[in-house]
Amino acid sequence: MDVVSGDRLLELAHRLVEVSPAAETEVIAGASCDRFARFAASGPTQSADRVLPRVQVRVRVERGGGLAEAQAVCDSLDPAGAQAALDRALAFAAHGSVSKELVPLGGATDVPACVGDASVLDQGFGAMSEWVERALSKCEEADLLPAGLAQTTYDARALVNSSGRSVDGSVSRVAFALTASDPGGGGAGFGDAIGRNAQELNVDRVLERAVTKGANNREPVGIEPGRYTVVLEPNAVSSLLLFASYQGLGAQDVAEEASFLCGRRGEQAFAESVSLFDDAGNDVYPGYSFDWEGTPKQRVELVREGVLGDPVTDRLWAAKQGVPNTGHAYPQPNTYGPKPGNLVLAAGDQSMEELVGGVERGLLVTQLHYTNMIDPRDLLLTGMTRNGTFLIEDGEITKPVKNLRFTESLVNAMASVSGVGKEREVAGALFDGEIICPALRIENFRFTSSTDF
Amino acid sequence: MSMNRMELAKDAVGAAEAAGAEYADARLVRLNEEELSVKNGAPGDAQAPEEWGVGVRIRKGGCFGFGARPLVAGSEAEAGREAAAAAVECAGALESAMREPTGWADVARDEATEYETPVEIDPFGVSVSDRLELLQAANASMEGHDSVVVRQAHCSLRREEQWQASSEGAALHQVLVRTGAGMDVTAAANGQVQKRSYPSSWGNYKSGGWEHVVAMEMPAHGERIRDEAVALCDAEPCPSGERTVVIGASQLALQIHESVGHPNELDRVHGHEVDLAGSSFATPEKLGGFRYGSELVNLVADSTIAGGLDTRGWDDECVPSGRWHVVKDGVFSGYHTSREWAHTIGEEGSRGTARAQGWWNPPIIRITNLSLQPGTWDFDSLIADCEDGSIFMDFVKMWSIDQRRLNFQFTCEVAWEIQGGKLGRMFRNPTYQGRTPDFWGSCDAICGPQHWDLWGVSNCGKGNPMQTAEMSHGAAPARFRGLTLVGAE
Repeated sequence: MDVVSGDRLLELAHRLVEVSPAAETEVIAGASCDRFARFAASGPTQSADRVLPRVQVRVRVERGGGLAEAQAVCDSLDPAGAQAALDRALAFAAHGSVSKELVPLGGATDVPACVGDASVLDQGFGAMSEWVERALSKCEEADLLPAGLAQTTYDARALVNSSGRSVDGSVSRVAFALTASDPGGGGAGFGDAIGRNAQELNVDRVLERAVTKGANNREPVGIEPGRYTVVLEPNAVSSLLLFASYQGLGAQDVAEEASFLCGRRGEQAFAESVSLFDDAGNDVYPGYSFDWEGTPKQRVELVREGVLGDPVTDRLWAAKQGVPNTGHAYPQPNTYGPKPGNLVLAAGDQSMEELVGGVERGLLVTQLHYTNMIDPRDLLLTGMTRNGTFLIEDGEITKPVKNLRFTESLVNAMASVSGVGKEREVAGALFDGEIICPALRIENFRFTSSTDF
Repeated sequence: MSMNRMELAKDAVGAAEAAGAEYADARLVRLNEEELSVKNGAPGDAQAPEEWGVGVRIRKGGCFGFGARPLVAGSEAEAGREAAAAAVECAGALESAMREPTGWADVARDEATEYETPVEIDPFGVSVSDRLELLQAANASMEGHDSVVVRQAHCSLRREEQWQASSEGAALHQVLVRTGAGMDVTAAANGQVQKRSYPSSWGNYKSGGWEHVVAMEMPAHGERIRDEAVALCDAEPCPSGERTVVIGASQLALQIHESVGHPNELDRVHGHEVDLAGSSFATPEKLGGFRYGSELVNLVADSTIAGGLDTRGWDDECVPSGRWHVVKDGVFSGYHTSREWAHTIGEEGSRGTARAQGWWNPPIIRITNLSLQPGTWDFDSLIADCEDGSIFMDFVKMWSIDQRRLNFQFTCEVAWEIQGGKLGRMFRNPTYQGRTPDFWGSCDAICGPQHWDLWGVSNCGKGNPMQTAEMSHGAAPARFRGLTLVGAE
């Protein structure tokens, strides 16, 4: 589809940079082709075919002995719309305040190629319709209520600036998820898969996981809150670790003393079995190879065998702190600083059976829900279990239990890891982002209350 | 000759009908926004986004399809027709998987076809330099202590214009203007990092103009919240156990949103949000009889109220705005509905709460302005009426609730112990946990209209893929007996 053509995006961005009268100009031209089919027990509930272009223009204009910066955005690749965005950015900056912190835009650079799978563009609704039908039928056979989403997205981006930087790339994403719920108000089961194309998705596995868990979770029993050994499946792990990407692993978070890294860098704060890095170039689910300033993303070891490392940086924070730019900028200007966007938790050597088998009395947790942060210094989090929480006794899963609320710090949890799964998955969470991670076994995980189901 | 915008919307509807749609609506949406912030005395964010596109939703064989395309000068009609074709293709591909066709309530038409937010001071008419001057003054007002690590002040202006047409003959035009601002300060000391904000954690946003920002008098509040942030770093953690708690209005706004608003969305009740956001404990058999709260608790949904972020002429299914009780005298009394779902609770018409984010999303049921009606207490009298050891807390810091909206746990920015009928020592990280009907059932006092205000939520997430929407919640401080405080640390 022409709208996601890298050449077209680059041409538009170059043209805008060339005509800009600003002292410095950066243009990011991008577009997504997104299709989705959402479903519930009544069948498909929503379906959409959307073309979503976006041009972001950042300018810096001379004003009273310094530079003032502003950004404007439009959702059109139309040259006139893009020019209007440039004009708005110029007008905004012309009346803005001078910033003494600005670092010059980065010059020419090479970035590793990143190209999405173009088959996603041609997929249409055929495969998604089939997945939805299979999910509905399988749930009907098992007397469970389905709810889920099938989605295909192809996203392309080009960044050009007035210092000679010109980079472009694309990514693709195909996802399918199913929640299978007991019609009598009991529990539910969940399964999902995320990949670069439809061929990578194991839809059978998603259906089997969700339906099996849902069928085994019809009559959960209440259990007292308290400290339990937990085996967190990858989706539950993602809910915890993604919070570290929102808050704590960026240089600004540390500088503002709102990070669990404060006072712990270089220390063995996590279990030795925990190694966490940010790696957009991973071969499981690669992301863009450059950040929102066009800087190549570096692979950053954030935690090495339990020892906490340094946070990620962007151009501003690298310059402020005299450290290398790791290429983790978000769209500029912003008030929140650099963040890791492609977290990967290293795999261990235990199968799921071995992780569960090592628990005398504990809980298997499929998913966590509405996780949120109470305090940034220890990354104190709270949230609920969801879609399949099971009691483990003497190494065996024995019965489903009603959902519980946890209140636990990520630092404590990661220090208490006693087992790491050998199989990794791409997993997301309620708020945003995705991470590649295995299951974890964690000792003394604190649950503080329970709910009715 | 080029078509005007309403004609473009009608043309897209016609294209959808010609392609086989049994029903179609088209929305052309133009959004202009300007955001400014000042952080630690320097400009932190200056953005001027603009969105302009068309979304077409169709119904065919009881199945919905949606297509969305950006609008480009000179080819708007082609974009509308392309979106219509995409919507029909979606529904056609999925129609065979339908198990039961969606419902579809009729709309009673009124004569109005235009709506515009009343504005006293056009926010876009306030110069960028004047806006920045105010933010700089607010930012400077928080200076003056070594423990302060972050000072932020921000403002945002939004103007959303919609042209909406449907195959049932609707042709509606509305302009929605929303304006707001806020400030916060973060201090770090003694291994603590603590934030205080004004007027609430996200500032405050309302429909209307710059008059709302002027009324906040932000620079007058900087020194106070700075000192409170610094003091929080020295404060003891809030104690745990059961206490009488007075909750401030901005925190109650969040409580209303999470424990009344979301479980009241009828699509969610019927399992259509289970794939991400969850379902609801407030099931239809409870309507009209379930005790949601004490007799003092009256919660009213109102998409016509002055200043509400979701105050408008019509929703995105061409349904006029309205006002109704969700909880009346403590009893569960009504839902947020759409044309798809109204029939499931025996109602002939939708309440008009189906909305979409921008031109590029299909509408889903969204909370509208939903408010706790004021009581009669004066705030100082209420505090004086509390026993020693009671707690007053306010300002959202953290929120989490289960997928059926029963078990919640919320943390506020700050709390004070009540001793001798007055606010005493300060506590950090006050966290309370509860179960929705128990919580509202424990309400035994609500402050009066003099303490009541609308609090805007400008980024409510729902749907899958997620959409954001805006709404307001009115509240005055209220007292709750026997609330469980959690030792969060």
